[in-house]
Amino acid sequence: MEEKISRIQKNYLEKIQKASTLKELDDIFIELFGKNGQVDTLSKQFNQLPKDELKSVGPLFNQIKQELEERIRVKREGVREEIYKSLESETLDIKGAGIKKRLGHLHLATQFKKEIIDLFGKLGFQQFDAPHIELDKYNFEDLNIPKDHPSRDMWDTLYIDTSNLKVEPGQLLLRTHTSNFWPRLMEKGQTPIRAMSFDRCFRYEAVDVRHSHTFNQFEIAVVGQDITMANLKYLSDYLLKAILGKEAKSRFRPKYYPFVEPGVGIDSLCVFCHGKGCKICSGTGWFEIAGAGMIHPNVYKATHLDPKKYTGLAWGFGPDRILMLKHGIEDIRYFLEGDLKFLQQY
Amino acid sequence: MKVSLSWLKELVDYRLTPQQLADKLSLNSIGVKELTNDYLELDLTYNRGDLLSIRGVAREIAAITGSRLLFSALNLPDYQLGETAVEIKDKKLSPIQCVAKIEELKVEPSSPDWIRKLADCAVRPVNNLVDVTNLIMLEFGQPLHAFAADTVGDETIIVRTATKGEGIVTLDNKLRKLSSQDIVLADTQGPVDVAGIMGGKDTEVKESTKTILLSASMFNPLMIRNTSTRLGLSSEASKRFLHGLTKTNLLQAFAAAIKMYESLGGKLTAINLVGDLKDKSRAVKLTKKNVVELLGLDISSDFIVSSLKKLQFKVEGRGADEWQVSPPYFRLDIALEEDLIEEVARMYGYEKIPAKKLSGVKPLHKEDPVFKLIYDLKIACKKIGLTEVQTYSFYSTDVLNALGTDKEELVKVANPISAETEYLRQSIWPNLVEVVGRNLRKGYKDIAIFEIGKAFNVGQDGNPLEDYRLAIALSNETDNPLEELHKIAQHLNLHPKGVNLKQTKPPAAAAHLFHPKRFMAFEKDGKQIGGLAEVHLRVLNKLGIEKRVAVLEIELDYFLSSNIITP
Repeated sequence: MEEKISRIQKNYLEKIQKASTLKELDDIFIELFGKNGQVDTLSKQFNQLPKDELKSVGPLFNQIKQELEERIRVKREGVREEIYKSLESETLDIKGAGIKKRLGHLHLATQFKKEIIDLFGKLGFQQFDAPHIELDKYNFEDLNIPKDHPSRDMWDTLYIDTSNLKVEPGQLLLRTHTSNFWPRLMEKGQTPIRAMSFDRCFRYEAVDVRHSHTFNQFEIAVVGQDITMANLKYLSDYLLKAILGKEAKSRFRPKYYPFVEPGVGIDSLCVFCHGKGCKICSGTGWFEIAGAGMIHPNVYKATHLDPKKYTGLAWGFGPDRILMLKHGIEDIRYFLEGDLKFLQQY
Repeated sequence: MKVSLSWLKELVDYRLTPQQLADKLSLNSIGVKELTNDYLELDLTYNRGDLLSIRGVAREIAAITGSRLLFSALNLPDYQLGETAVEIKDKKLSPIQCVAKIEELKVEPSSPDWIRKLADCAVRPVNNLVDVTNLIMLEFGQPLHAFAADTVGDETIIVRTATKGEGIVTLDNKLRKLSSQDIVLADTQGPVDVAGIMGGKDTEVKESTKTILLSASMFNPLMIRNTSTRLGLSSEASKRFLHGLTKTNLLQAFAAAIKMYESLGGKLTAINLVGDLKDKSRAVKLTKKNVVELLGLDISSDFIVSSLKKLQFKVEGRGADEWQVSPPYFRLDIALEEDLIEEVARMYGYEKIPAKKLSGVKPLHKEDPVFKLIYDLKIACKKIGLTEVQTYSFYSTDVLNALGTDKEELVKVANPISAETEYLRQSIWPNLVEVVGRNLRKGYKDIAIFEIGKAFNVGQDGNPLEDYRLAIALSNETDNPLEELHKIAQHLNLHPKGVNLKQTKPPAAAAHLFHPKRFMAFEKDGKQIGGLAEVHLRVLNKLGIEKRVAVLEIELDYFLSSNIITP
């Protein structure tokens, strides 16, 4: 048996040495380690060996197996390096070739974004861009979420390491919501405001089929001299009917968010069962869709606007979840993992 | 907190089925997380600390359903007894500390009624003496602690911060190292309780305990929060300390607990109430005009006043349609007129608020042109046959490994969820190459994808920078995908007048990433604003790709900062 093993060793070390292409090395690898390959065949004979012999053959066999594997790996690197060197002899050739005909696709989130942005654009809303890496001030403090306040526990936050930056520790974070756009816009003082954002946010959250540390939010903010909760109701129905169908309507419930007062939780009539109760709405006929409310006086104070003079509303929801419901998408990870089979359906 | 429905019935005379009650609560007060035949659980928010007690929930139900409360306030009698030894070292740590000494007790299992109440609220019964503290906490929301008096040095309770190096074994048998930022209750020897979080093992009630020191406190909530976070330890009690307690309620709970111990045969022999025993009262101005203007709804003055009274607010008229409103002691969340308006709105019923169009005043601010540019580019990319992907804003470990990037250049997350979210992407193209690999392995042969998104870098001033980029990746079954990608770039008009696209060497720092010959740069005013290149095979091989891949990436800022006409 030992002899057999040595023969294989010698034979294959030579073969590996002589190989000059990745293809040859692949073939050698399969001959050795593939199903019914040399290694496989040999090890099947072990149970017929006397115990004494097995004691010495076993370790030898393993050692040679490893040696061959390592040699293939090293040789492969060597061949690759040769290929890398040969790149120097290639040239930039951009003269020929046309563009192949392909069917292009927009990401589902882009299509939805366009739909919603146009919808609110008709009402005079304008998009406003706010940073993803944000100051604590705009993500929390200006929104009436003071430092060390227990309400901060509502947002599991990813902070930026500031050891290499000229910023105080704990002052920079990945924004946890798109709401950072309203203090940034409000402090410019250009009222009235009718603004919106459909963009990416981040949370400290383990990824599974329903949760992701990276997700989209759509949010609107309106500031003026005569903005009311009745306007909030109108805008809610306006959105729900547009994205879920005419049957959809909103239902307001009290809900706490530090940056609004009164605070509102918005349910939609479940359009999947026409309000009769199904799996999606946990049998209640309604499902929670958004958080909203009238902008808190402390947000005006933080942004140097007079809370006596202005009222305003804000409204935000997670488009990813709606898309999942509308299209029967079972795993939120499909959105950001680039699977063409998924993306090219839309 | 799980609220026992049968216990609730003892405190408020409501006439609704459990389902009706849950619906009413969620439409007028607060969301209901769970409902069973035995209990309901509220979706608590930190502002409504008063609802962390069955009495609080009962008061809320009485207000929204118009039903009668079956309990009244219990005042602490004026005991003529000796004092227990109590000291608060610093008022900033604790405004109030009460300790009662109760003797002649006997440790036994609690009565079936108590055990059922605890079980409905998902609290484990321990023994009669400990169960009293839990029952009171559930009913009143005020945590209490019973110490075995013979284990407390000199029967003295001192509220202070821990000194450096002090530690305590808590009830869960773990040694907790304390810092000077932690509040403790201590006896004359050392800490006996991590304030607001968990009691000490050495002083817990034992089989042989006959005398207890019953303690009721309030603490600085920020300090409790920090200690709880640092020790990674929270409890039913710590939750309540954080949500805000009141002195009025503390004294009522303390009186009720003493009564329960007396019902067990205990004898109160000493008591001490240290600190300021009164809650501050507040008054908030409310006008009908503001109610109507914020809600967009005409509500009568009578309705406003009666709603607030049902919620136990004191309402004093100040002329027509204007009031001075004092919230009850237990409503710590009411500070502004808007808070009162919310109370009126929810008593009215949020669901009855009518819908009204926005009036015609259009905004002053102008939309950032970047949005139109991005969308137009996306449409152009789609038309030319590319598929849009969106990838994470981070570099995965596979990408980091393939690029061999100097991590010092990257914006780093201080508390990553895993190594996959530790570094923000500096460019987008590497993530696209990773996606190409993923799809090649799934059997795709021709892959043409793009992404528009943000990339993150450390600026020269030491601050992080983010900017929008367009990136494209192409693997088209040829050994020179750059040829086609170059045509795509031309078609997209990414290098109109003012921007040059020319062959050059990859910059030294990126030489290992790109093909040594197949590299072109977009230049504007002598500055590189993007590139078009074949990815170096070494990088591709590390990502498990054996095919050739060409990429393009260009900064979008340059299209906006100049008068370049975009596609």
